[in-house]
Amino acid sequence: MIGAISTPVIIDACKKNSTDGSTTSGSGTAGTTTSTNGSCTVAPTETEGPFPTKTPASFVRSDITDGKTGYKLTTKIAIGNINNSCAALAGAIVDIWHCDAEGNYSEYGGSGMQSTNYQSVHFLRGRQTTDANGLVTFTSIFPGWYSGRATHIHVHIYNTAGTSLSITQIAFPEGSGTALALVNGYSKGMNGYTYNNADNVFSDDKTGIEIATVTGSLTAGFELNFKLNVKA
Amino acid sequence: MPQKVITLCYRKIIDSTATNPWDKFIYEDSFTELKMQSQFYNQEGKYSTFAEIILNVPGSEKLHFLVSASIMGYLQQLNGIIPDVLDNLGRRFLTFENFKFEIINSDFNQIDKHKVAINFFSRPLLWHDSIDQYLLVSPFKEITAEETFTNLFQIQPFVSIHAIKNIS
Repeated sequence: MIGAISTPVIIDACKKNSTDGSTTSGSGTAGTTTSTNGSCTVAPTETEGPFPTKTPASFVRSDITDGKTGYKLTTKIAIGNINNSCAALAGAIVDIWHCDAEGNYSEYGGSGMQSTNYQSVHFLRGRQTTDANGLVTFTSIFPGWYSGRATHIHVHIYNTAGTSLSITQIAFPEGSGTALALVNGYSKGMNGYTYNNADNVFSDDKTGIEIATVTGSLTAGFELNFKLNVKA
Repeated sequence: MPQKVITLCYRKIIDSTATNPWDKFIYEDSFTELKMQSQFYNQEGKYSTFAEIILNVPGSEKLHFLVSASIMGYLQQLNGIIPDVLDNLGRRFLTFENFKFEIINSDFNQIDKHKVAINFFSRPLLWHDSIDQYLLVSPFKEITAEETFTNLFQIQPFVSIHAIKNIS
């Protein structure tokens, strides 16, 4: 593949000096463009291939666990269309993301020079398209928590064209016997936990419309159901 | 005798001049993903460029990471071999596990302003010697055999030594 890609550039790229900003700012074949030492380099001499194939973003999967340990959580989100009497909205793109049992999100650690292994960097982030019933399903783990926030799942709904329709968060029911109480904050416990009524996102939700229905047990795993209506 | 173990970084720039299929997939898919993900940081639709969002919206630097999901499948198609960088025999020889994806510039209404970079970080190399303008290296192993196969290569634009460690 790379041989095929680079050949035309390299052959006429007995390197020339350049102070032109547009050149030094790079192109698709950065490694083979001009240099300042005036010397020539070899052309690629390899068998072509493998050939690239169009691939969706790695978010696109139903199981977003990526080996993270925790109590299994199946998240079912149904999308309705406010502009159509809240009837099921098919073909909507639904992104969800949440933290792991320790309260950490997948992201680049630190800044600057730090690099990331290209296997499974986007843990606990997923994307699905709603079916004819407006439904998407994800498998992951029950989220942990971190300081200052109640346990939550982020949701971003797009239309088929990728235009944002709604950005929101799903809250969890609280109290004895709830999944939240059973999981009990994993190894952190619940000391210092921010409950929904003190949470800066959920505290204005007096009717609880942001709170999902969560059923199940520690051994069988939990199922979360949530209905979200958007203007599509 | 002390020796040096180095890690190379190749910063592959992909912009609107991309012609080969792999580069074009990266280009188009990262633009589409950026348009989707950037809406989270641009909920009032005030900004039309990546630079404006980065300057004005706290936390928006996460977009580099978020958009990188759009290229993971293509990275995997490389089978762990860094593209474009050749040894003096004309072969790709650098292997990688680590990368960092960057969005350099983008305008959500003009795809030709979109420009990204993939930083490939090589697996560690033992730097045996320098011959003229060339470095003589071999894949670093904890246990060295009596005879080691080596690669001779020239540092080229957008390739740099990222990290160095002396070993004895």
